[in-house]
Amino acid sequence: MRIRQRVALLTVAVLLGAAGCSQEAEAPESTAVAATTGCASSGELTMWERSGGNKDMVDMLVAAWNAKNPDCKVALTYIPHTEMVGKIAQGIASGQVPDLMGMDLIYAPQFEKAGQLVDLTDRLTGWPELTTASKGHMTVATFEDRLYGVPLYADVSALFYNKDLFTKAGLDPAKPPTSLPELRAYADKITALGGDVKGYYLPGNCAGCNIFTVGPLMWASGAKIEAAGPGDEPLVGDGVKQVLQFERDMVKAGNVHDGDRTENGETFHLQFGSGKVGMMGTGNFNITLARQQNPSMQFGITLLPGMTPNSSASFIGGDLVVVPKGSKRVNDAVNFMKFLLSDDVQVEVYAKALNLTTRADMVDNKYFKEEPLVQDVAKALTVGRTPYTLTFFEQINSPQGPWLKMLQRAYYTDDNLDTVIADAKKEMSDIAAKS
Amino acid sequence: MQRTRSNRLTGLAYVAPALVFVLVFTVYPLGRMVWMSLHNWSLIAEPRFIGLDNFRQAFSDRQFWTSFLFTLKYTALITPVLIIGGYLLALLTAPVSRVRAFTRTVIFVPVVIGLGVSSLLWYWLFSTDFGVINRILLDLGLIDQPVLWLGVDAGTSNFAISTSVVWKVIGFGMILFVGAIQAVPAEITEASLVDGAGYWQRIGRVVLPLTMRTVLLVTLVSVIGSLLAFDQFYIMTAGQPQNETATSVFFVYLNSFPYLKLGYGAALSLILAVTILAFTIVQLVLTRRSES
Repeated sequence: MRIRQRVALLTVAVLLGAAGCSQEAEAPESTAVAATTGCASSGELTMWERSGGNKDMVDMLVAAWNAKNPDCKVALTYIPHTEMVGKIAQGIASGQVPDLMGMDLIYAPQFEKAGQLVDLTDRLTGWPELTTASKGHMTVATFEDRLYGVPLYADVSALFYNKDLFTKAGLDPAKPPTSLPELRAYADKITALGGDVKGYYLPGNCAGCNIFTVGPLMWASGAKIEAAGPGDEPLVGDGVKQVLQFERDMVKAGNVHDGDRTENGETFHLQFGSGKVGMMGTGNFNITLARQQNPSMQFGITLLPGMTPNSSASFIGGDLVVVPKGSKRVNDAVNFMKFLLSDDVQVEVYAKALNLTTRADMVDNKYFKEEPLVQDVAKALTVGRTPYTLTFFEQINSPQGPWLKMLQRAYYTDDNLDTVIADAKKEMSDIAAKS
Repeated sequence: MQRTRSNRLTGLAYVAPALVFVLVFTVYPLGRMVWMSLHNWSLIAEPRFIGLDNFRQAFSDRQFWTSFLFTLKYTALITPVLIIGGYLLALLTAPVSRVRAFTRTVIFVPVVIGLGVSSLLWYWLFSTDFGVINRILLDLGLIDQPVLWLGVDAGTSNFAISTSVVWKVIGFGMILFVGAIQAVPAEITEASLVDGAGYWQRIGRVVLPLTMRTVLLVTLVSVIGSLLAFDQFYIMTAGQPQNETATSVFFVYLNSFPYLKLGYGAALSLILAVTILAFTIVQLVLTRRSES
């Protein structure tokens, strides 16, 4: 009996000791310290990021940090884009998480709500850089007034137009369309050129491409698309029906190529550079791509318009930097965030490589001044938004989701548009109700 | 008595590695999946026990039935092509000669390519704007406008995907059939020849019955593979148009990972597993009957 008691006491003592030790180990990282752009402690930092079109830029950012901080270099691992969510979830479940990670901003609210990201509010409070950081990023980085990350990079949508085709069609290349009726009139003229040329481009089989480029047309027309959560009504406003009617009319008028119906996102980025499209909603990433693809083509960029003149909107996409629960280097992760938002990195890394800055006040820089197209596309940051919902993939991004179903019925069938919208609204509401 | 017990322990020791392997890699994951299917199990939140709700939801889920019926239809369409086509190719290439051996190799090569890679290859071949198939058909004057092969019409999409799958896997059945045909004793076919049987009579009355086990094996493998179809549809149509080409596994994948509903995905997987088990049992019964 005495032996049992001794063993019990010993066990309790060991457990208490272990708890004490673990608290001591946590203490330095759980304390908010003033952030710098350098190392808080030495040793390699691990970071995960999704693979994709922005790899070069993320590589440059990490290289810049590593050059400045040789004692705490970031070791970057790319995860295939489609496996990122699963990989993060597995990592969290098994406790094998990186010190920091890039996350498709659209998924952030889900992870924030589930308590899987480190609350950085106290560490980031008072940063002047955050007052001008991309609004869309900051919206989804916030859950119930707590802040969980900062922008890593931004992709914004805008209307690209082919100046050569404008000139051939008798349009003024210095005056892009400022409303959807104007866009329609211009598209008709460009399509009338004949041959393989069409006035407009519409990705018929790609949910993500459409929220990126057609969603802003609805926002600019005063509509709301997604349901944020249970009880929130999706697809509100006349702009939804007006834009669907506009796109249906574009298809019926022959202003888009037949092949656009099969576009599932694989060749989306190659379409504008083909030189066969008059106007197309696409992203800032297309500036460099179109130039590489078709060096002699002259093109311009304007904001995606709505039904009324001079109304405009944009989709702000991209990635956030966040810290997963279980990270052992929160202070250094926060320092990396400070580094990303610093004036020097915004100008000498982001802007120098002609990538969008993630702070609106950094747009006015020497590199963008030499490149009017980037200046034009950067205006999207001021009118852009990012949808906020806990079920973005199910409602919007999924190839089986109600958003794409609604668009395809609107574009390619004669179904009554009110019915089409009502069906999608019900499905989106049902999905949101379960979130 | 002592000796018998010792023998049993020795026997158990011999099978222990295999037993451990099966327990760890089959029994435990299967049990875990059943357990998950009874929960509201998100990838990122605490699981909550909900009994059979996931199964009830699955049976009342319209998209589940659309995907399930499409998968059965795809299986019913592609299996005969793979079996009959593979068998005919085997008949052509089974006789021993260099040319036939070379032909066998050429037909078999796509089997070693990954399905994802071959699907991507065919996606580009069928591309409306950049694909060589439309280019060839246009140049030959067989079509006036490029055909929208993928994601617009369910029938056309299914045909295009099935073509790519036949190209990819028909060689597998062919090789097995070649082995079975070559194993038919020469004296039996010679005897039928002496009896005056023609070529097709020899094939139908002698070779086919003697290779029936292989036919059933290839059918079983093909049916299971088709019921589990995913890569080709995910890459080539993503279930379009209007989810009419979404397979069951595609639906499982979407729910489990992008939607983070692992519990529901587990329930869907179990339903699919039971379906496959039913097909397998039918096939095995048929195999035994053919043997008897």
